[in-house]
Amino acid sequence: MLSLAILFTLLISNLFAQKIVRYDLYVKDTIVNFTGKAKRAIAVNGQIPMPTLTFTEGDTAEIYVHNEMNEETSLHWHGLFLPNKEDGVPNLTQMPIKPHTTHIYRFPIIQNGTHWYHSHSGLQEQIGMYGNFVMLKKTNDPTFRKGIDDLATVPIVLSEWTNIKPENIHRMLHNANDYPALKKNAVQSYGEAIKAGHFKTKLKNEWKRMLAMDVSDVYYDKILMNGKPSTDLTRIEGKQLKGGDKVRLRISNGGASSYFWLTYAGGKITVVANDGNDVEPVEVDRLIIAVSETYDVVVTIPAENTAFEFLATTEDRTNSASYYIGNGIKQLVSPQPRLKYFEGMKMMNDMMKMNGDLDDMGMNMSLNQMDMNVVMYPEITGDAKPKQDDKDPNRYNANALADIVTLNYAMLKSPINTALPKDAPVKELKFTLTGNMNRYVWSLDNKVVSEADKILIKKGENIRIVIYNNSMMRHPMHLHGHDFRLLNGQGDNAPLKNIVDIMPMETDTLEFNANVEGDWFFHCHILYHMMSGMGRVFTYENQAANPLIPNPKLAQRKLFADDRKMHFMFQNDFATNGNDGEMMLQNTRWSIGSEWRLGYHNMHGYETETHIGRYLGKMQWLMPFVGFDWRYRKMGIDEQEKNLFGQTNTKDNRAVLSLGVNYTLPMLVRFQTEIFTDGIVRLQLMREDIPVTKRLRFAFMVNTDKEYMAGLNYIFNRNFSLRTHYDSDMGFGAGLTFSY
Amino acid sequence: MKSIILLAAVVLLSTTACQSQINNAKTETVKVYGNCGMCETTIEKAANKKKISKADWNEETKMASITYDSKKTTLDAVLKNIALAGYDNQSFLAPDAAYDKLPGCCKYDREKKQVAIVTQPAKDTTKPMQNHGSHQYDGMNNTSQETNQLTVVFDTYFALKDALVKTDGNTASAKAKDLETAINAVKMDKLPMNVHTVWMKVLNDLKEDAEHINGTKDISHQRDHFMSLSKNMYELIKVVKPAETVYYQFCPMANDGKGANWLSKESGVKNPYYGSQMLSCGKTVETIKQ
Repeated sequence: MLSLAILFTLLISNLFAQKIVRYDLYVKDTIVNFTGKAKRAIAVNGQIPMPTLTFTEGDTAEIYVHNEMNEETSLHWHGLFLPNKEDGVPNLTQMPIKPHTTHIYRFPIIQNGTHWYHSHSGLQEQIGMYGNFVMLKKTNDPTFRKGIDDLATVPIVLSEWTNIKPENIHRMLHNANDYPALKKNAVQSYGEAIKAGHFKTKLKNEWKRMLAMDVSDVYYDKILMNGKPSTDLTRIEGKQLKGGDKVRLRISNGGASSYFWLTYAGGKITVVANDGNDVEPVEVDRLIIAVSETYDVVVTIPAENTAFEFLATTEDRTNSASYYIGNGIKQLVSPQPRLKYFEGMKMMNDMMKMNGDLDDMGMNMSLNQMDMNVVMYPEITGDAKPKQDDKDPNRYNANALADIVTLNYAMLKSPINTALPKDAPVKELKFTLTGNMNRYVWSLDNKVVSEADKILIKKGENIRIVIYNNSMMRHPMHLHGHDFRLLNGQGDNAPLKNIVDIMPMETDTLEFNANVEGDWFFHCHILYHMMSGMGRVFTYENQAANPLIPNPKLAQRKLFADDRKMHFMFQNDFATNGNDGEMMLQNTRWSIGSEWRLGYHNMHGYETETHIGRYLGKMQWLMPFVGFDWRYRKMGIDEQEKNLFGQTNTKDNRAVLSLGVNYTLPMLVRFQTEIFTDGIVRLQLMREDIPVTKRLRFAFMVNTDKEYMAGLNYIFNRNFSLRTHYDSDMGFGAGLTFSY
Repeated sequence: MKSIILLAAVVLLSTTACQSQINNAKTETVKVYGNCGMCETTIEKAANKKKISKADWNEETKMASITYDSKKTTLDAVLKNIALAGYDNQSFLAPDAAYDKLPGCCKYDREKKQVAIVTQPAKDTTKPMQNHGSHQYDGMNNTSQETNQLTVVFDTYFALKDALVKTDGNTASAKAKDLETAINAVKMDKLPMNVHTVWMKVLNDLKEDAEHINGTKDISHQRDHFMSLSKNMYELIKVVKPAETVYYQFCPMANDGKGANWLSKESGVKNPYYGSQMLSCGKTVETIKQ
């Protein structure tokens, strides 16, 4: 009787009182071993991914974050509606959680769906700080869908692992290091181009000043689903899975920079929700999940005594992870075949104008319906070279070209009316996504976070945003604290999302009602793009100050420090005829670089050139600079040299200042004009990274001082290569090059 | 004598060299399904990874002895690669596409593959049907069985058409073989009268076209025969009136500008006569439904 009474009171309190659900998260350094090498990572409560946090709509979340590391951290609740100060963006909505302190996030759960959470500090998300965040519907919710919301459910967070420290990856990306391409066998060198019959394609590509590009930038050693490359899902909540069972997977893409193709060996995948919001069920053969998106899918186990593979493959198709759903022998799904890179290059050539803008040739692309990359997909366009009719309006439409169905945003339809308040004033904003692959600068309207003002909006307004992607990569744009409607032709039933993946040349329109005050980040969710400054901050007019930001000026300076960061590179060739090297510090706009050629004796001479310059323009082909040159060489008594312009010059001992300009010519040749304080003028042409084969690079330099150099580099690994070159000053040399 | 010692030394060295290739070696013997010598090459190639794993498959026993570096890989990782090459084994079933791509002689019987549970398009899609694989065909009545035997013919025709859309001569040839088998399996006496009549009329031509398409991998030759095959198939399908809607489509450019037809399950045009060259050339000229 007593127990019944207790049960009853419990029930009552569940029904009427707010239930507080508390989690304690202990963030700690750890050592992991995914590949046979022990590496540093961050674990929460001793695990990677972070534990799945589960709530029911109506609960109050109380999350204690105990930072047991020696560095700052933060946690962002991705896709959640919450007060701004709980949003977890360091230096914007709160100050970072200091080492060895505890921070409490407390907010009411006022929505349901599949979401996730991750660190918003630095690059911590790459090394373990991601986890599932599930909010269940109340059982009496009118939107409760029988046959979907009551299915056996498994949350899955996708992620990637690399043995290279993320800070180092970020630095390498900014230095256009082609090591990831080498690992992925995607260098796309001249040699490979000739073999594939695509020499002209490669030539045109370099003429248009494009470095060989891939659909993704980073090479990962392992792909993980809930922290493992392979998982046997034989039972859910103690119940053995059998033929005919349906399973709902709540999938979040917690990868730092990877998109994943999702495919299933047991037939169709039924998509039932996206970004935590229900959609009308739609059956597809495959879908791509953008970085930080979530999808709820339902799959059926079609036969007895068999486990069916659910496969997540990186967009570049170099790696994958599997879930085997069911009991018995494992039925595999066909792997996604290797990309036809040169077809992609050819497509990019057609789309790229000489000035670096993209030209969609009147196709009005949006909502992932036309995927330019289909030219690279053998499963859609066949193994052979496509001989498509250039006029075919469907030539990039995967669903028209093949008999498999690929999900796109136009197929998502909300089961409820999502129209915004009709009488609210409308504010329209336009953004162009801009970028420069060669220097890894990513921005909105050619401005990074630290270069742009916050965007002021008013509470109650309907904000409509039109985004055009004029960069060469796709970007998953994420808005904090709000869901937006993606205008996709479904009228009042436009789906609600908080991430929209925009492919190159696409234009998408989204709208939301401004209903929660605060500073809300709007950014590209590819971690390395975000850290390079690809974002904006929305802020409400006349909003109350955030109590967690006691010194807004300091916070802003720290926030801006992310994209102002200087990236260091160093290279030196230890050769038989001397040392050749350079060292550079670069950020979004500035470059401080020093080059040297140090011989082993006075006849060969010693020289250094230091340049401080600023990159101009969207494509950053132009860089004016000031420089300082010093050289010493003993050619003999008073021997002088004449340059092409007849100016004479004793190189024996010279220290001069200079003014100059670098310009990147077609074929990626760097043209340098420099005038020195002693009146001497020097013009120079140079290129150092012409990919001859997968591992061989050709370099040359020639200038009006009648100096010249030609060399070959054979790349061993990330840091070392063999180099042989001939230099007009120092003669023939061979040696080992160290690059960092 | 000296040379013999030398030879022995060389042999000894080379064998130790061979053995030393895989460290922490572990050998296990497992079943891998397959048929012929060609299978052996493919299976062993799929399992072979320099210094990490290798396999020796026996055609008689269908057993593979797999040696692998137990610190660098697992038996399952090797078996997965074998399955991805098209061969079912104790742990994995090959993807259907990989099995389909195997040459004819390698198409072993897929004993391990379970028959899919038929989930009929019930109104309440939320509840999976509870009938089990072994009873798959028991519940069907006679009338459906009559057309059922032709459904297989039509389905293989559509598979052949899809192969031609992809300009895939190998698959087309394999699918034509399936079509021949399906045609031969039809029990004429079970067909309703009107269907029987048409069947008698088109049977020889159907067989001949299927044989020709099977006999070559030259896509243009296959497409030539596919024209008459489609015509006969159309006559047949018109009397059968299949449960699913079928579209009769026409491309005016095929057959040197004389035009040619084909049947499709989808209303959208995917041209089997040109493939990706002119994929969407053509239009639906007739919709066939019950």
